[in-house]
Amino acid sequence: MAITPYPMLFGATLWEKLTAINGFNVVASNWAYFIEGGLVTLQLTVLSVSAGMVLGLIIALMKMSRWRLLSSVAVIYIDFFRGTPLLVQVMLFHFGILPIFIDSGPFLSGVIACSLNSAAYVAEIVRAGIQAVDRGQMEAARSLGMNGSQAMRYVILPQAYKIVVPPMINEFVMLLKDTSLVSVIAVMELTHRGKLLYSTTYEAAWVWGAVCVVYYIMTKTIAMMGDWIERRLATE
Amino acid sequence: MIEVKGIHKNFGRLEVLKGIDFHVAEREVVCVIGPSGSGKSTLLRCINQLETVQQGHIFIDGVEVTNPKTDINALRQQVGMVFQLFNLFPHKTTLENITMAPIILKGMPKEQAEEIAIGLLRKVGLPDKDHVYPAQLSGGQKQRVAIARALAMHPKVMLFDEPTSSLDPEMVGEVLSVMKDLAHEGMTMVVVTHEMGFAREVGHRVIFMDEGIIMEEGSPVNIFDNPQNSRTQSFLSKVL
Amino acid sequence: MKKHLKLLLVAMLVFSLAAVGGCAQKEPAPQPGAQTPAPAKVLNVGTQATYPPFEFVDKASGDFIGFDMDLIRAIGKVQGYEVKIQSMGFDALIPSLQADKVDVTISAQSITEDRLKAIDFSDPYFKGGLIVAVRADNTTINKYDDLAGKKLAAEVGTIGAAASEKLKEKDPKTQVRIFDGIGEAFMELEKGGAEGVINDWAVTDYYMQTDGKDKIKVVGEIFQADDQYGIGIKKGDAETLQMINEGLAKLKTSGEFDQIYKKWFSE
Repeated sequence: MAITPYPMLFGATLWEKLTAINGFNVVASNWAYFIEGGLVTLQLTVLSVSAGMVLGLIIALMKMSRWRLLSSVAVIYIDFFRGTPLLVQVMLFHFGILPIFIDSGPFLSGVIACSLNSAAYVAEIVRAGIQAVDRGQMEAARSLGMNGSQAMRYVILPQAYKIVVPPMINEFVMLLKDTSLVSVIAVMELTHRGKLLYSTTYEAAWVWGAVCVVYYIMTKTIAMMGDWIERRLATE
Repeated sequence: MIEVKGIHKNFGRLEVLKGIDFHVAEREVVCVIGPSGSGKSTLLRCINQLETVQQGHIFIDGVEVTNPKTDINALRQQVGMVFQLFNLFPHKTTLENITMAPIILKGMPKEQAEEIAIGLLRKVGLPDKDHVYPAQLSGGQKQRVAIARALAMHPKVMLFDEPTSSLDPEMVGEVLSVMKDLAHEGMTMVVVTHEMGFAREVGHRVIFMDEGIIMEEGSPVNIFDNPQNSRTQSFLSKVL
Repeated sequence: MKKHLKLLLVAMLVFSLAAVGGCAQKEPAPQPGAQTPAPAKVLNVGTQATYPPFEFVDKASGDFIGFDMDLIRAIGKVQGYEVKIQSMGFDALIPSLQADKVDVTISAQSITEDRLKAIDFSDPYFKGGLIVAVRADNTTINKYDDLAGKKLAAEVGTIGAAASEKLKEKDPKTQVRIFDGIGEAFMELEKGGAEGVINDWAVTDYYMQTDGKDKIKVVGEIFQADDQYGIGIKKGDAETLQMINEGLAKLKTSGEFDQIYKKWFSE
């Protein structure tokens, strides 16, 4: 419909208009700063979820154990980390608990706090996944003579892992957003960078808008990857 | 072979087994019949301790099942169980289902286990179904694989918990046929079933249970043709 | 089903009442029975109440107290306004002004060129100046320049933070950890995560006499001593700007300003 030169003209005026806005310039000239922040956020999330998965599995098994001591410890652990705000946990670990043992910088404190937190949620996801496996499977395994651990290892867990994939992907996305909280201990992740850039430019709408966009790109990408994984598992 | 003495079992406040005494001799096929809720499946599951009892003792080949010191896992290797809902491992192929226990529990090398497994598959009539997954099998085929899986451990006794109750009628026969062959080979079997024809033809002894106790027991002829107990009579009149 | 629905509605009602009750962190309501005539106008004030001795929360009563708090209340009184104070993050002060959430901000804010781009300031009311704080057992850092190449902690958006960042020009190895409040920055210093904190001298001084006793000390001279605090006002709000400056002037003339100053800074 438009004459060929017209869209170019329109594009040119649009660009002129945009670059006239201070906020746009601030964001545009700092795009690498934001991307770096996004990568730190991603790094933080991947490390924390990975550690959380290992620890979460252990805690889930502890909770389901017949030994009261193990299951009680697991219950207390899960209750604490799910029952208190992550923000408070981050502050507590960075300023209160970790300094007793090590000199941990903000990133390490952040990973530790987020890992411990994630493990509590993962534990519940894993437990639900294990209990979702048909009871008959355990009975069949036991009736053949397998003990509890063998039944878990060869029969139950291989079936449970497919069940836990969707909630685990969800946990990944949730943690990715929750890592924004570690900005309070000065980790240079995305939110913190937004805060810093804002504090020197006062362009609230543009800066925070840009931060949102980067978060969205990350969460959407992961959600799409998650869908793909779920589809692959369903057809196996 | 199996001695069951004075068993009482409750689920919470519900008393399910109210004093059971019976025995199974070697090479004997005992069929347990009765209405649903009579406790027959529970009784069977007590034998390999899938259910625990509050009172009483159970012995298999002299080893006490109900003794906490007994290595129940080692004992269960000698007791094969076939379930109403098959309980095949869906994430493993037919062959893997059968070879899993011997490899893990007996340390059997894979080739040897597979050889035995293929032999068993042939025996239950499924020689070419070794590399399929349970989801691709019919109900009757699944149950036959389940029987092969239990036999792979070379058990002394086989327990069957309503093995054909979940099958479409046209597949019942193929499973009963395998069980019949097993019986004729001299396997000690305890079968909870509604298949009266099988009980009459293959069973050496029939036990009728109702409301948690054994009402009557005897040879198939006696039970089916000449039931003494009124409950037995009324049950049989409904099912036969 | 109906029973569950009723229960759900009751729960939602209880929660929403609680939420309304616990709304924005405002000043505690005045005591019942106080003889205050109904004021003509309300002045909404924004501050970050984690900065003793300028603005902080009284442990006993939960009220906002401090030099800035006394000052703004005095201005309000002398100009005929009821002062309502809200506490928020330091970096939320300017957007709150811009978005008309508050009328003025008073939070030991230094008057800087950057800030003047975004908001207006009243006449200066306090002479600032930065100082370096280090752990009490530190022997290697004696002045600002010694901090180059080290790990520093500071509060977001402060001129102390800017001064810290500037050290990166001297030595790119300098690390600056930025926190939301000065309290956290001091905690980072005390736990060994940072070796120095650059902050307003008055606040650092107060901290050293209270919670930071024996934990930190100051080194070097006060620098950037031409720094001055102002009361923040929305850009272009000439009416409020004039009102505040008038109030300040009145307090200075009457001597009340000096009284408030002496109360908090008796040196």
